[in-house]
Amino acid sequence: MNELDIEQAKARASKLREDIRHFHANVMPVDLRRKSDRHQVLDKADYLQWMRLLQRQGWVVGHWPEAQGGAGWSALERFVFEDELARHGCPWVIPFGVKYVGPVIYTYGCEAQKQRFLPGIISSEQFWAQGYSEPGAGSDLAALRTEALRDGDHYVVNGQKVWTTYAQWADWLFCLVRTDREARPQNGISFLLIDMRSPGITVKPIRTMDGYAHVNEVWLENVRVPVENLVGDEGGGWTYAKFLLRNERMAGAIVGMVHHVLHRLKRLATQTRSGSGRLIDQPLMRQRIGEFELRFFALEESAYQAVQAMMDGSENGAEASLIKLRGTELYQELAEATVEALGLAGVAYDTRALHDASLPPLGPDDAGGLLKDHFYNRAATIFGGSSEVQRNILAKLVLGL
Amino acid sequence: MTTDADTIAMLRDSATRYAADHYSFLQRRAALDDPHGYSERAWRDYAQFGWLALRLPAADGGIAADPAAIGAVMEVVGARLLMEPLLASAVVGTGILMSAAGAAQQASPLPSLADGSLKLAFACEDDPETDGCELRGGRLHGSKIGALHGDVADRLIVSARDADANGAWTLCLTAAGAPGMRRKSYRMVDGRGAATLHFEGAVVERLATGDAAAVIEQARDEAAVALCAEALGVVRSLVSTTCEYLKVRKQFGKTIGSYQALQHRMVDMFLLQEDIRALTRSAQRALGGPPSERARIVSGAKAYIGTAARQVANEAVQMHGGLGVTDELDVSHYFRRVMVINALFGSRDEHFGRFVDASLEAA
Repeated sequence: MNELDIEQAKARASKLREDIRHFHANVMPVDLRRKSDRHQVLDKADYLQWMRLLQRQGWVVGHWPEAQGGAGWSALERFVFEDELARHGCPWVIPFGVKYVGPVIYTYGCEAQKQRFLPGIISSEQFWAQGYSEPGAGSDLAALRTEALRDGDHYVVNGQKVWTTYAQWADWLFCLVRTDREARPQNGISFLLIDMRSPGITVKPIRTMDGYAHVNEVWLENVRVPVENLVGDEGGGWTYAKFLLRNERMAGAIVGMVHHVLHRLKRLATQTRSGSGRLIDQPLMRQRIGEFELRFFALEESAYQAVQAMMDGSENGAEASLIKLRGTELYQELAEATVEALGLAGVAYDTRALHDASLPPLGPDDAGGLLKDHFYNRAATIFGGSSEVQRNILAKLVLGL
Repeated sequence: MTTDADTIAMLRDSATRYAADHYSFLQRRAALDDPHGYSERAWRDYAQFGWLALRLPAADGGIAADPAAIGAVMEVVGARLLMEPLLASAVVGTGILMSAAGAAQQASPLPSLADGSLKLAFACEDDPETDGCELRGGRLHGSKIGALHGDVADRLIVSARDADANGAWTLCLTAAGAPGMRRKSYRMVDGRGAATLHFEGAVVERLATGDAAAVIEQARDEAAVALCAEALGVVRSLVSTTCEYLKVRKQFGKTIGSYQALQHRMVDMFLLQEDIRALTRSAQRALGGPPSERARIVSGAKAYIGTAARQVANEAVQMHGGLGVTDELDVSHYFRRVMVINALFGSRDEHFGRFVDASLEAA
């Protein structure tokens, strides 16, 4: 982008930020907003309502090119969209369709696949899940063993996926499978779109420490998948998987999430009494919040400069990893400090109150939700490339070690 | 006012090239051993390149450099550990004269600043044991500590309370060796000079400023931001030198850089460097912004960078093993420069406190 384009992108991005504030304050339905403010658990119907609401504003695929039905957002608008929603503690934009598989299909898929799948992704008509990790292939994704063998005009798929978010709701699974056992690990992988209603698929929920089952095991036993559901070339799956990860790298949400939880901690410390004054006036708490403020300040400045670098083409390749590392580690420490500041309310937990907005909460009205998010985001330094893998990548690619 | 990108790139290139050709670690040794603690020849070279006139307007042979342009030179000061009084005189001292002195007061010093024949220093730190400096009936009393390059400055700018104006801040200009002034010179841990100053009724000239407190705050902020850029240069050198060392040093039959424990620590050093780079840019931009926002961002940057640069320096020494603590290797010299950067123009704690006050007030 040249300087003029960047200036225009900045103007559009500040307009977008204003629009999102207005949307959060005035357009978001009261019920959904109340659940969101209290960090409650959303069910599938809530999420579908949320995604469609965003799509009515033209936002859910704003980052897609205009030719594919998007708004052709710059890196900055994309960042601002995720950042501003997260600052208000809004539900996340479920990424599996609109952020992950959609761009793979419009970039590498054939015309028939675009016609067939893109409209349902844009409208959230079809709910997607991601079949990547396996019991033996987590950080080492290329070690995956789920196998797809050609049988006439079908692939027959056998294997097991794990940590599959929302598989229980999904209509479709985009799945990395091994189509060639002889090739180098990365070369024998293909990208298949699998109908979740196919015979031979079993979804088993995995209960996590927040008491919920967002993630699942997905067992595939002689699942027949038509060859027309292969995206791109057989054996090209690793390339598409890496493309998907590059698309995933925009890290606006984590910056907004950190802002939100920092704001929440300050509010809590202002409202909580301690001795004869407020918690926030205690020197130790003030020092602690100050250190968080300082780290958030560094994160935010780095993030904006990374986005700027993406736009003017001066990236060094480390930006996305830096923001993921700094952002997720800071988020976790803030969530921990918030739970500690809640005191005994920080260990009281009633999952019913997280579903049912009419039940009286324990402690401050969003304490349960904060606790739930704190549990859930212990995985933030594990999924999407663990902190250790991020450091491995930087050591190799940027430092040449 | 902003300096255009081409000018900044040119400054950066010429400073980098000059330092590579004339300021190697060995050549720098000679400057360290010089009685003044810097190279008079290098100082004259800087005048030739126009670095000493950076802040002067075009009419006086300068380029009215913005903080990013000054930062381009300061990064090289850090990267090569230059010893000359660039920060004290050409950045801070000249900056104060530009904003606080009247036209008549500027007329004679400006050309001498540009050609290097006049060196300034800014004495703004009070001895916590005493009441600082006071101006009474045109005479200065009290003492100042830790004035960077106060040992070699020809003239000193001193912040003081004006007893004849209800203790309001004022700025005084005094010549080194003026009657009633004593100067105790010493070297800091990085080899550069500094001075403690005592005034016993020294006759001084007042700078014709309107709001001295605002000028002092601005000058200290500008100095802090220049130090951020200097720290960036230091940290870049430490990161690259340590990374190279990990690639060649072998133990147990393998390069030590092949061990994941060290790779991850090296990555963390690199990430700190990137933080420092981002915050230096932010702080440079903030200098032109509104004062409250300026205080938050400049102090946030100086506080964060202080901790980050120290952490990089600690790790660089550790990863060089025994060599890291020797005087022979540049690593220990960078380490000592970081200590000085952190102590000058507001400690980590001072800037952190100012950042927190500004942040929590805004919330």
